[in-house]
Amino acid sequence: MTTRSRVTAVPGHRFPFFHPAFFYTGPDSYREGVGGFVRDAVADGRPVLVAVPGPRLALLQGFLGPARADVTWEDMTRAGRNPGRILSLIQQFADRADGARVSIVGEPIWVGRTPAEALEATRHEALINVAFAGREADILCPYDTALPADVLDRAHRTHPFVGGPGPYRPSTRYTDPHKVCRDLDHPLPEPRDAVSLAFDVDTLGRTRDAASAWAQAAGLTYSRRADWLLAVGEALSNSVRHGGGRGVLRMWCEDRSVIAEISDQGRLADPLTGRRRPDPFAPNGGRGMWIIHQLCDLVEVRATEQGLVLRLHLETA
Amino acid sequence: MATAPNAAGPTARAGGRHSSIVYSDDRRWAEHVCGFVRDGLTRHEAMRYFAYATEPAQVLRTLTDAGIDAQGAVRSAQLVVESVSSGYRADAAFDPDALIGQWHATVDTAFADGYRGLRVIGEMSFAERDAGEADRMLEYELRIHHEVFEQLPLTGWCFYDRRLMSRERLGLLAGAHLSHRGDSVAEPALKVAPLDEAPGFRLDGSAGYDTRRVLAAAAAALTRTPYPGLALDLSALRHLDAESLATLARAAARCPGSTPLRLLRPPPDVRRLLDLFPELGSRLEVVAR
Repeated sequence: MTTRSRVTAVPGHRFPFFHPAFFYTGPDSYREGVGGFVRDAVADGRPVLVAVPGPRLALLQGFLGPARADVTWEDMTRAGRNPGRILSLIQQFADRADGARVSIVGEPIWVGRTPAEALEATRHEALINVAFAGREADILCPYDTALPADVLDRAHRTHPFVGGPGPYRPSTRYTDPHKVCRDLDHPLPEPRDAVSLAFDVDTLGRTRDAASAWAQAAGLTYSRRADWLLAVGEALSNSVRHGGGRGVLRMWCEDRSVIAEISDQGRLADPLTGRRRPDPFAPNGGRGMWIIHQLCDLVEVRATEQGLVLRLHLETA
Repeated sequence: MATAPNAAGPTARAGGRHSSIVYSDDRRWAEHVCGFVRDGLTRHEAMRYFAYATEPAQVLRTLTDAGIDAQGAVRSAQLVVESVSSGYRADAAFDPDALIGQWHATVDTAFADGYRGLRVIGEMSFAERDAGEADRMLEYELRIHHEVFEQLPLTGWCFYDRRLMSRERLGLLAGAHLSHRGDSVAEPALKVAPLDEAPGFRLDGSAGYDTRRVLAAAAAALTRTPYPGLALDLSALRHLDAESLATLARAAARCPGSTPLRLLRPPPDVRRLLDLFPELGSRLEVVAR
């Protein structure tokens, strides 16, 4: 068995887009499987993006030596703090390649991610398959085998190929990404003590002011209150514009975060909404969900028959 | 391109010469009208009353009943009371550009006739009948401070009858004046007013999807104000959403001259949005709090 096979040599790899999960057991297998993937891509002259948690960055940079200068590096614990913003990051990178085949390492789930974060990261993994369908790209997603079993199981559903231990092979459990997303849309736990405000277009301004005042009382810092107000304001506007004209805002504190939940009667017509950087000058909006993903530490999305629910998390510290 | 305001003309207290007058009964209306005309007679100024909801005969009767020689003023052409459909003209849609030009010509005529200035009352409740017209009305109220009142010896009282206008629109249009008389009005979600000390405007409140028409009117005022170096005072703004900032950025790109639009003391939202969308800042200059 080898874990550092060149992806171009993988049996069955004849599609423009190759998206395997790579299961690693420790630093050695990480260096061999992930480092080998990056080294081969650099040797082939491809644009390479590596977005992994900070300690893994150092490990890979050490492995690559001077070749590390040919790689774009991102600490996933920052760039992908909210899993909903990762797809925008890697699509922007691929767009800049101007049609050239790109190689990307994206590790959106690491030991320590909360179950809610891991679930949204799984949604991101499924949506990679939609966003990159037909594009010239290899996106390798390392998974630590120390992760919970349900997380590892979902990796088999969101990746058309899996490898390590063992060579890359088609995943027998790979599932249509839209079905994966639907399967993730199970009900969110009810908060214990939430402030609830119904809103419509006539009360948008007052609701924004109430959200700002609540965040201040909850201890959110001045600069983070700007993020909170921008994100909540965009979500409120989306409900009025696309969610049946009205909605309900609930706000509460949980551990070290403040949370806003915006629910309405809308549908998420395109699951990729907000996962590609919009044209800021676009006259017809389209910026809201992207801004929300950029500013929040976690965005939970639930699209059900009853409507759309967004939970926006911002850490207070 | 026009020169900046204050370069010539009667600059003193321009804000005090353009006032919103809000009333909710005929008695208060009459008090405002009579006081205004008495002052005009005393100052030997030409006067125009543009009536929309009131019969001109009622205006003259009210003045006469108050002991003012209204008929004499009409005969000498010092006072003209006329009925209009909108926009100070009986036969035209509301057009800020045409009106601004008209004020310059009317003041010239008043001087030629030997008067020391011009004072005007306009009944503005026609703004209530059409949302598009109300948007242009707001643009007009914003622009005339710099383009008319800072340039001309004109006193203008904009009459707003509470009985004929919605609470929100009344607050918005009355709020576009630097001087206010009469009844108090409700604060709109987003208020726009001209700056008194420099060419530009001031936003007050919270700007989002619900206030997009107000922002669009402010943007129209920015792009059509023919002075370079415009400023937008955002110090009283609690929130500005991305679409509103994009509207301002588009307006800045169309502003006259090569100097950027200065955003004075904006809320932190603006800097955060410019971090996310640096291209919006290409014609904007942020002047920090």
